[in-house]
Amino acid sequence: MNSISRADKALLKIAFCRIDVTAMATATGAVVGLLLFLATAVLLIKGASPGVEVGPHLEMLGIYLPGYTVTWWGALLGAVYGMLLGAAAGAIIAGMWNFTHYLYMTAMVIRASWMRMMVD
Amino acid sequence: MDRNVYQIDVKDNPAAETEVDERLLRTVIRFNTLLTAIVMGFLGGAGLFFMTLLSLNRGLPNPGHYMNLLGVFMPGYEVSPTGAWIGLLWGSVTGAICGAVLYRIYARNLRLHVKDFILRNNSGDASYHLIVPIGGSSLGLALGTLTAGSLIVTTNWLVFRGTAEESVHARLLENFLPGYSVSLPGSLIGAIQLFVFVYLSCLLWSWIYNGIISVRHR
Repeated sequence: MNSISRADKALLKIAFCRIDVTAMATATGAVVGLLLFLATAVLLIKGASPGVEVGPHLEMLGIYLPGYTVTWWGALLGAVYGMLLGAAAGAIIAGMWNFTHYLYMTAMVIRASWMRMMVD
Repeated sequence: MDRNVYQIDVKDNPAAETEVDERLLRTVIRFNTLLTAIVMGFLGGAGLFFMTLLSLNRGLPNPGHYMNLLGVFMPGYEVSPTGAWIGLLWGSVTGAICGAVLYRIYARNLRLHVKDFILRNNSGDASYHLIVPIGGSSLGLALGTLTAGSLIVTTNWLVFRGTAEESVHARLLENFLPGYSVSLPGSLIGAIQLFVFVYLSCLLWSWIYNGIISVRHR
C-alpha cells in the first residue's frame, strides 16, 4: 500500500479544514456593512435634481431593515444592519460547511471501521 | 499503482514530498463542489422563500412590487404563497449552480494553496491545522467571475426578451457601475467593473478572515 505523500496530506487538510465561524462572521459582517454604507454614500454624494428624492429604490431596503433611509444617518444604520446580517449569513455558511463536512467525515470513519470489522 | 502526479517545485525544501495525487485532487474537488452546492442551494432556496414570505406579511399596500421582477428571470415566481414555494425551488437550483461554479473556479488554484501550505508548515506534521487561511485572490477570482458572468447573462436576457428599453430598474445599476446599460456592450463594461469591485472586496474579506484566524489559532 502506498504511503500518503506530504502534499496529499496538505491537500486533505486544506479540503477538509474547518471554517472558523467567528472569523467568517466578523469578516463577512465587516464587508457587507461597508458595502451597504458605500452604496448609500455613493447615491448621497451623486445627489439628485432639486425636488427629486435621492435613492428611492435603495430606500426600499427599509422594508426589510426598519429605519433605513438614504441619508447619512441611514448609511450608518445600514452599515450596522449590514454587519449584523452579514455576520449572521457568514456564521450560517460556516456552520453549514463545517456540519456537512463533519457528517461526511463521521460517515467515512464509521464505514472504514465497519469494513475493518468485516475483514477481521 | 500508477500515479499521475503534479510536481510542485519547492526550492526551499527539496526533501519534502510535494506531489499531489491527481485522482485525489479530482475527488476532493468533486466532493467539495457537491458540498458547496448543497450549502449554497439551501441558503438560496431558504433565503428567497423567507424573503417572499416577509414581503407578503409586512402589510404593505402592494406587496412584492419589486420582488415580482424576479419572475423575469425565474419563470413562475411571484410574491404569493405559491410563488414562495416556486422561489424555494428556483433559489435552491440557482444557489446550487452558483455554489458549484464558485468552488470549481476557486479550486483551480488548489495546487498553489497546497504549495503555500507546505511552505508555511515546513516543520512537518506537528504543525497540523484544522483551520487554514482562505486564498483571497482565488476567492475573488471565483466570486468576481460568478457575479460578472451573472450580470452579463441577466442583462442580455433582458435584451433577448426585447424588454431592454423598459428595464428601468436594471438601469439603476448605472449609479454604481458607470457606463453600464441594458445592452451587450453595457453589460460587458458593467461586468468588468463588478469583477474588480468583487475581487477587491474578497481581498479585504480574506485579509480580515486570515488575520483573525492567525490570532485565534496561533
